[in-house]
Amino acid sequence: MRVGFFLAVRQIKRSSKGTTALIIFIMVLTFLNLVVVSGLLLGLISGSFVQFRESYSGEVIITPEEGRDYIENSPQLVSFLESHPEVDMISPRYGVGATIRGTLGSLPQNNERPNELSMRVTGIDVGREEHVTGFSRFVLFGEHLNADEEGYMLIGANLLKKYSSFADANIPGLDLLEDVDVGSRVRMSIPRRDGGEIRKEFIVKGIVKSKVDEISTRMFITDKELKRLLPVNKEQFQEIAVRTDYDYAPYLVNEVKNFMGNSRARVQTSDEAIPSFLRDIETTMGVLGNALSSIALVVATITIFIVIFINAVTKRKFIGIMKGIGISPGAIQFSYVLQALFYGIAGSIIGAVLTFGLLEPYFSANPINFPFSDGILVVTPLGALIRIGILIVVTVCAGYIPAKIIVRRNTLDAILGR
Amino acid sequence: MITAKQLTRKYGKGALEMVALKSVDLSIKNGEFIAIIGPSGAGKSTLLYQLSLLDEPTSGEIHFAGTETSRLNQAEKTELRLHKMGFVFQDYALLPELSALENVALPFLMQGMGRIDALQHAGNALQRVGLSDKADNLPSALSGGQQQRVSIARAIAHNPEVLFADEPTANLDSKNGKLVMDTFESLSKEGQTIVMVTHEEEYAAHARRTISLKDGSIVSDQ
Repeated sequence: MRVGFFLAVRQIKRSSKGTTALIIFIMVLTFLNLVVVSGLLLGLISGSFVQFRESYSGEVIITPEEGRDYIENSPQLVSFLESHPEVDMISPRYGVGATIRGTLGSLPQNNERPNELSMRVTGIDVGREEHVTGFSRFVLFGEHLNADEEGYMLIGANLLKKYSSFADANIPGLDLLEDVDVGSRVRMSIPRRDGGEIRKEFIVKGIVKSKVDEISTRMFITDKELKRLLPVNKEQFQEIAVRTDYDYAPYLVNEVKNFMGNSRARVQTSDEAIPSFLRDIETTMGVLGNALSSIALVVATITIFIVIFINAVTKRKFIGIMKGIGISPGAIQFSYVLQALFYGIAGSIIGAVLTFGLLEPYFSANPINFPFSDGILVVTPLGALIRIGILIVVTVCAGYIPAKIIVRRNTLDAILGR
Repeated sequence: MITAKQLTRKYGKGALEMVALKSVDLSIKNGEFIAIIGPSGAGKSTLLYQLSLLDEPTSGEIHFAGTETSRLNQAEKTELRLHKMGFVFQDYALLPELSALENVALPFLMQGMGRIDALQHAGNALQRVGLSDKADNLPSALSGGQQQRVSIARAIAHNPEVLFADEPTANLDSKNGKLVMDTFESLSKEGQTIVMVTHEEEYAAHARRTISLKDGSIVSDQ
């Protein structure tokens, strides 16, 4: 091993600097292909998870149990959460299904559908919502609501023909409001259980847009106004978003469940509340990432194999001489394995520095703008370490095999160049 | 020290078969300086490669210091070459990435000697061939004659029982050729066994025993 090390160090030190740099560059690209490509694919989905948490759910989201209208014992739960030392802030929200009519001045003609749609109206505490989700950043046009004002609403961009990305798709059943913009008057109708409805007119104060559907496909008014409009259960909330430490969220979920006792509600961490189709996409992206990584590994293997093979073939005579003067084949093979190891480690270190020092901060600051998320680079030190390990193992094998092929050849033939 | 019995080496098969050595019998004693001469294709180098265990005979036996070498596996032959033999090749055969000193130190390292000791011993060997001042030079920075002397230093540094030299002067001018032969003569006087292949009778004259080969057979041994 000592002789192998002695030979390897000198061969690396005294070989062509340009060739060495080129090989290491290839290894860096391989590392980036291995880590960054799959990291970006996962990042598309992880970005949407982060946005779901940051923009809507908080770290913990409490919603009514399936088939229920509200979170039972909401006031007590709000008090519990407000006094909990690990909770930074909560945003309790009212919510109800409502119909919005966009054209108030005239009735629809025969065979003309009314300019209306049914969607969820959410009542928010403007101050708390700002603290939990930074809601004002979603106001794309117009202005945000003031805490105490009445008669104004924010409307999700995906509900309006003018702003929706699906407006030109002509999807059957997809209703969008026409001619509604900032300043328009709209009428909201909330059905009552007795078959009647509560009606109120609003002025659209702003258009909200986010890559999280829960914002872009809803209407928002102040919680005080919606509370007043609700026909029943005026003290019970439909959503409570809780801002706490991300790592503490699972513990808080358990504490809330214990506190709730027999009261019914669905308590979830933001990760648990992610829609299952996003989870499916995450799995698919993971598979795609692994497939691409596998191809990158194969490319790296072949590259190193060729590099070491050519290196060994061109030095076949010297390998023969070394065997001739008594250097063991094992020592010679080890020197080539060490060279391959050097290329693998150097490429991985530079790749890791680029990934963690440059690319990850860059994509965090400048996410890739995808329609459904802001794509970030997802790469953990452990994940990178595992990939470095795989890359190095593959590199060592790719270095060992060609060295063994060349070293095994007849000594005299090698010396004489036959 | 070395005994060859009925040594035969054939290349190719059938109609293409070529006999390079024909039933050669030979005995080499300690301290001898032998020149193997003959025209091109006589089998000189083939005989050297058989004796130095770099190649295997088609038939016949080689005994090295009492050991019948056909019983040895490749690893044992490599070990034998490392400890008991030294080699000087026609084209010097120095490793291009190693300095003169490192080239000479390599067999010591392979024998298990520490790096500092190995380099020290290598330095001593270079001193013997008059190249102490070129120790840190890479082979590419040395003249042909200097490279061959480094090669000799590497071959003799570990005090091998026998030094094999394959046309050591073939690539050298007469001045450097003479320098190499002077070195061999000096080593021979110190008791070093040397087996040298050459086609130049002028250099063969430095040896104390000359074996002439023709068509794979020994035609004279004096």
